Amino acid sequence: MSGRRPVIGPGSILRLPSARIAVGVLVVIAILTVFGSTLAPQNPLAINANALFQGPSAHHLLGTDYLGRDVLSRLMAGTRLSVLTALEAVGIGLVLGAIPGIATVFMGRWFDFAVNRVSDALMTFPYIFFVVAVTAALGNGLVQAMFPVGILLAPAFFRVTRAATLEHARAQYVEAAELLGGSKLHVIRVHVLRKVLPNIVVTTAAMAAAALLTVSFLTFLGIGVQPPTPTWGGILSSDLDYLSQAPWAPFIPGALIAITVGALNALADAVRDRSGAGTLVLAPLIHFDPSLERADGDRQSQSVA
Amino acid sequence: MTVISLTRGGAADAAGAPPPRRRRGRIALARIGGGLAVLVPIVFLSSFITYCLGALSNSNPAATILGQDAATPAAVARFDKALGLDHPLLVQYWNWLVQAVHGNLGRSYFTQIPVSQSISQRLPVDLSIAILAVILAVLIGGTAGPVAAIRRGGWFDRGVTAVCSVVSTLPAFVVGIILVVLFAVSVHAFPANGYSGPSSGIPQWLQHIFLPSLALSLQVASDIARQLRTSLVQVLEQNYIVGAKVRGLPYRRILVRHALRNATGPALVTLGYDFPQMLAGAVAAEAVFSLPGVGQLLLESAETRDIPVVQGLLLVISTFVIVVNLVINTTLNWLYRADEVGT
Repeated sequence: MSGRRPVIGPGSILRLPSARIAVGVLVVIAILTVFGSTLAPQNPLAINANALFQGPSAHHLLGTDYLGRDVLSRLMAGTRLSVLTALEAVGIGLVLGAIPGIATVFMGRWFDFAVNRVSDALMTFPYIFFVVAVTAALGNGLVQAMFPVGILLAPAFFRVTRAATLEHARAQYVEAAELLGGSKLHVIRVHVLRKVLPNIVVTTAAMAAAALLTVSFLTFLGIGVQPPTPTWGGILSSDLDYLSQAPWAPFIPGALIAITVGALNALADAVRDRSGAGTLVLAPLIHFDPSLERADGDRQSQSVA
Repeated sequence: MTVISLTRGGAADAAGAPPPRRRRGRIALARIGGGLAVLVPIVFLSSFITYCLGALSNSNPAATILGQDAATPAAVARFDKALGLDHPLLVQYWNWLVQAVHGNLGRSYFTQIPVSQSISQRLPVDLSIAILAVILAVLIGGTAGPVAAIRRGGWFDRGVTAVCSVVSTLPAFVVGIILVVLFAVSVHAFPANGYSGPSSGIPQWLQHIFLPSLALSLQVASDIARQLRTSLVQVLEQNYIVGAKVRGLPYRRILVRHALRNATGPALVTLGYDFPQMLAGAVAAEAVFSLPGVGQLLLESAETRDIPVVQGLLLVISTFVIVVNLVINTTLNWLYRADEVGT
């Protein structure tokens, strides 16, 4: 058993150097999200036929692309769409996953079984296939496309929240609170939510990274955006067509995606380390043994311990 | 793409004394029954979600196929009857599923080519990439992880950890592009795009699928390496390993028969999580290396809203994921069952 969990504040997380770097990167990304298109040194859509495929220079800090557009400006202007859509997906996943995750523990076995099966069924769909299929059905648009991504992120939130809630719902003080006449809502609000929060934070950061990768990939495939609109994935995709002229070009948007994803992962790790929110143990993608579900598939730790 | 992990549940005391032999049979039966109780709803739910996408689309297939002018109400009604679209949704779903089980996924709205035919034409491309990627991932991750665990704290260990954390931030399509730049554009060691089937020469086939597979496998390899390293480090600290050392068993034997067997479980689970994302990554590899696989079929048919093709593809893919997970779960059960009986 994992003992008591200290409730942690942002201060203790920021004491880790990796977390400080991660937060720094994310703050820069956040600023770019809000002010990116105004801060951009040049018009991201301005075409200049005299300056195609230029390398980095004082005038174009990151060079120019196949239409002579300033790459730095395009990346800065493309940040908003890429980040906001990723956040949209994470928000949907959080709401659709975390709430049922807590609810199933308190609402009886059948509800629990049913929601678990829905979550399992959703986990059998690879993101891209599901998202492309939904855009085929609902129409092409990045905002619509992120809705199915959110739905597919929900099972991860669901499982983590449910497992963490299960752990605390069995604690004696919860039993005591129930015996003292506390309602389920009271128990959840006062005793469970606070303890489960670090797990949800860790998952949110990790899923934000996953969502960002998915957005970049979707825009790379050209789903949901019209060509002149700059997005991280879109820039990467157009670079791919001109590899022979500018083989270094894809590294710039690629590095930007990687750094952001890395920062989110590092933040998740830092919160996990500091809060003890999971000495994480993996459970199979689909539990084919429902008796394990209550114990949450803790076979690995058993066999090791 | 991501390692999704679970918090430790609190049921560490479940592994008590083994039950008497008489009850074991019944427990096994209950396990199979329980497994079916999980499997059946998943199969129905995921196929139902797949089918509902078509109903959600709100597009009128009759009008799409017949064209705006020919779509008189009478013609549309006749058409819907021919396709069985005049039944309630659940009946339509059931008919579709029964047909699908018999291998008939319908015909494309536009080309009239049977969906199962166009899928089976494209699937070998992705399967060869995915299978080679799994092999590469297991080879790379399965070597790097244990070696890092044995040489814990050494330069190799630190190197593996660093490489893993860099690789885990790189999506498959970015890795693919980097590989193209490094090995196809600059060095010309491998073809940058295109596909040639195994029928036209095995070496050529391998040459065409190697870079895409490598792009796909790196992330999975890093997941496997990290997971194996973590669990092997844990296992190597256990008393029974110390005990085996004290009894004078050769270290290699301890490593393989005692430690690795107990440490592979979590790595297998990781592989189960990564598999659906590998199929998604195969779409990325197809896009980067312009291979004629199911991903391109999916994108094309999504653009034209060719719903039967999209439904068929999604059904085939999710079935694949379920089957692979069944295999992984069976292997896990076998690993741990052998454990319970053996010790």
